[in-house]
Amino acid sequence: MLTRRHFLAGSAALAANLFGAPKESSTPSPDLEKLGAAALREAKKYKATYCDIRIVRLRDQRLNLRVSPERGTGKTLAVPGVTEEASFGFGVRVIVDGAWGFASSPIVTQEEIALITKEAAIVAKANAAIQPKPIQLAPVKAYRDRWVTPFDKDPFEVPLAEKLDLLRRVTDQVKRDPKVFSGAASLNLRSEDKYFASTEGSSIQQYILQIYGNIDATAVDRQKNISRTRSYVPTQASAGWEYVPEMNLEENARQIRDEVVEHLSAPAVRPGRKDLILMPNHLMLTIHESVAHPTELDRALGYEANYAGTSYITMDKIGKRIASEQCTFVGERTSPRGLGTCGYDDDGVKTTEFTIIDKGIFRNYQTTREQAHLVGDKASHGCCQADSWATVPFQRMPNVSLRPGPADTTLDSLISGIDDGVLIDGRGSYSIDQQRYNFQFGGDAFWEIKGGKKRGMISRVSYQARTPDFWQSCDGTAGPAYWRQYGTTGDAKGEPTQINSISHGCSPTRFRQTNVILTD
Amino acid sequence: MLTQDEAKKLTDKIIGFSTYPDCHVTVNDTEQAYTRFANNGITTASFSKRHSVAIAVTRDGQTGTYSVNNLDDSTLRNAVKKAEELAAIAPPNPERLPALGAQQYPKVNDYDEFTATARSPEMIPHVKTVVDAAVRQKLVAAGLVERSHHVSAIANKAGLFGYHNAADSQLTTTIRMADGSSSGWAGQPSTKLKGIDSAKLAAVAIEKCKRWKNPVKLEPGNYTVVLEPTATGDLVRLMAPAFGARATEEGRTFLSKRGGGNLLGEKVFPEFITLRSDPFDDRQPSSPWTGDLLPTKAIQWIDRGTVAHLAYDRYWASKTGKEPTPEGGGGGGGRGGGGFGGGASSLILEGSDQTLEQLIAGVERGLLVTHFWYIRFVNQQTLQHTGLTRDGLFLIENGKITQPVMNFRFLESPVRLLQNTKVVGQAVRVRGLEAGMMIAPSLVAVDFPLPSISDAI
Repeated sequence: MLTRRHFLAGSAALAANLFGAPKESSTPSPDLEKLGAAALREAKKYKATYCDIRIVRLRDQRLNLRVSPERGTGKTLAVPGVTEEASFGFGVRVIVDGAWGFASSPIVTQEEIALITKEAAIVAKANAAIQPKPIQLAPVKAYRDRWVTPFDKDPFEVPLAEKLDLLRRVTDQVKRDPKVFSGAASLNLRSEDKYFASTEGSSIQQYILQIYGNIDATAVDRQKNISRTRSYVPTQASAGWEYVPEMNLEENARQIRDEVVEHLSAPAVRPGRKDLILMPNHLMLTIHESVAHPTELDRALGYEANYAGTSYITMDKIGKRIASEQCTFVGERTSPRGLGTCGYDDDGVKTTEFTIIDKGIFRNYQTTREQAHLVGDKASHGCCQADSWATVPFQRMPNVSLRPGPADTTLDSLISGIDDGVLIDGRGSYSIDQQRYNFQFGGDAFWEIKGGKKRGMISRVSYQARTPDFWQSCDGTAGPAYWRQYGTTGDAKGEPTQINSISHGCSPTRFRQTNVILTD
Repeated sequence: MLTQDEAKKLTDKIIGFSTYPDCHVTVNDTEQAYTRFANNGITTASFSKRHSVAIAVTRDGQTGTYSVNNLDDSTLRNAVKKAEELAAIAPPNPERLPALGAQQYPKVNDYDEFTATARSPEMIPHVKTVVDAAVRQKLVAAGLVERSHHVSAIANKAGLFGYHNAADSQLTTTIRMADGSSSGWAGQPSTKLKGIDSAKLAAVAIEKCKRWKNPVKLEPGNYTVVLEPTATGDLVRLMAPAFGARATEEGRTFLSKRGGGNLLGEKVFPEFITLRSDPFDDRQPSSPWTGDLLPTKAIQWIDRGTVAHLAYDRYWASKTGKEPTPEGGGGGGGRGGGGFGGGASSLILEGSDQTLEQLIAGVERGLLVTHFWYIRFVNQQTLQHTGLTRDGLFLIENGKITQPVMNFRFLESPVRLLQNTKVVGQAVRVRGLEAGMMIAPSLVAVDFPLPSISDAI
């Protein structure tokens, strides 16, 4: 057990020193390697056949500004939030007697690492009593490397005043129309320093940077007793501060200001079978829910049966058609600015790109080292991840993206082929069953398409479909010029639940005769 | 884990580092152990300790917050300095009120030593009971047994101090046919690990799994439903955010009236619907302070069908001349006008003496729902949500369960659900798959919209 002395022994200064080597360095910090070796050495005492340690420092900076009218005066009040959070600790995984064990601690010392490695071995030994088959890991190369998110300017080094000023300009734009009741803008920065060492011989240090932004506008009609919100969620990205101007926050603030007011008085959709154009910042979550999750191997094999569920894409679907010819999906953790992008996963596997669905034919599941042999693969696809030093690594989705269509397929050409349809932009409500068959997705804003032309906004739209039918109904996706990658930072999976951040890229895409329903 | 004395010394020290007139400290110290199983074997198990300190400092309405998980003096001193640097740049918060002084927090009985210290030897027998029962029937078990011990402490420069020590546990299991053709679920949250009846849970999940095989396809439409307590909790807990006085006055909740005003004091639900929060209920004790750090009290939100309270945070109470609401359950500050924050963690929908079997016996034709899954809002204002039935859906005919039924998607608001409720049964503590906890009864409701079929098993 941890002692009081240990509890108070940690040090953020230690973290700064450990991870403080220049980003140009090509090998991990020697001090980190010494700490890592302590776990690997200790594991041998307990006859562990495998051991890895992750030493992690997480840092979050969250800035937000809410603007809303003061009660009684109507004067706009701006309510700020300025928060930073730092977290530092380590987790040790071992295989003893063929079973996994894991333990973690926020106190990063050689002594504590030895104690926690022992704890992990105790957990593994206890688990071995109910272990049907010994854990089997796919081979992996040993790496001694350092990987850093490509960036020009570290966003944590940018003065806070500059960031807050950006949020103020954005919320000013949102509130410029008095018909907008309230607005909000936020900017979140996240960094992860991670050191990994394993008994396979790897020693890997990584620095991962992520930037998220968001703008909301809310309009209220008291006579009709309705309210509508319009949001702009820019491409959430692994990047430096140089990316922030590309978010176009001010320009998009103007757009959502105008659109939330239009949405408030927009007529309700007439429900029925309609063609859909799904824009990338909407379709990305449809891909996430109906393609990325069901191609997780642990789900297909029943390992998530008690919570996230299983999958309609069972092993017998390998080599079978599950989508139309227009649909090629790749999984990767290598694309520039992808939220899932890194150099190595939490198994120490070098990240790569692999085809999941090739022209509608299912080819590959997402896998970890532990799972590869279950589908006859010799190597993992590098999809192992934990969301913190304190949590157990397991199979998480990589960036999963839909390849763009031919260069001559444009958004206009897709729209022109629709007689009665809806164009959907942005994120709304997403719900899907535990095998990923039946889904109902909403959006943030909707436009009617009539006679091959985009018309005015409509409201109260959701669409509901059966996943394999839906992807078979896809008959066109716009070309590379339209392809955009959007991210989500709230992907929940596992028990206790872990949160993952990944990106999904796609172009505007057309689906035929989908069931569009009228909601409240 | 931090004792009350250690927590007091720690918070005093941190506050002493601050040069600002206002300094508020929140300490969280958590120890967790769990064992997860699937395919009749253990998949992951963990023992972890986490602690964090959040330091919020304010001067002239400017607030900065900095959180760390290292507790040595140099780190804490630096964290206070960082918080002050953030505050110096942050714009003033026009909605901030002066810090509260010393408070008398009520005692909440929320700690069980056995639960707080249990490890693999205490948890694996539960797993073995479930897995062995499944294997005996040639079925496949998955699930989770976990326990947590959580200490929280709050303090500020104006003399406020609070300490809360809580333990909790749960076991959930999903039992499936080996060929994936059926699935049954059972779960039990308990403040005492010894109170978890793993044999009973295994039996319930196995019975559902065996009974749900080869479900029939019924036409989508509106059905009378019998919701088991977990299914009731899955939906009713979603009402909590709508009780916010500010959001209601601003026309953004189902309690807002067309043209202005609200439904407070109006009879919106049947006479037997009473919704309240009670942080002192032994079945589900929760934090002794609110999100605004006021001492909690039990609150009636719906009293025998009538809307009895709206939730006023300190700011909105100050603007409206009302008393702030000592909402049960605490936690979850900074709500921006929405709902009764952490009160949702001690929510109770009153039940009756009637058993689930008695409720089923009174239904001529309807569907028995085990629980729901992937519940997401569709309309924030009406609280219309969508989601799906899961792990056991059965047709009731003439008071008896007759057939398994393929899963449905629902599209409904818990407000309309309660308005359409005809009878409630016995209430128990439940914890839904998506982590919502409350004390909820089984119930019978009419006209529940189930607009599409799901093939999922």
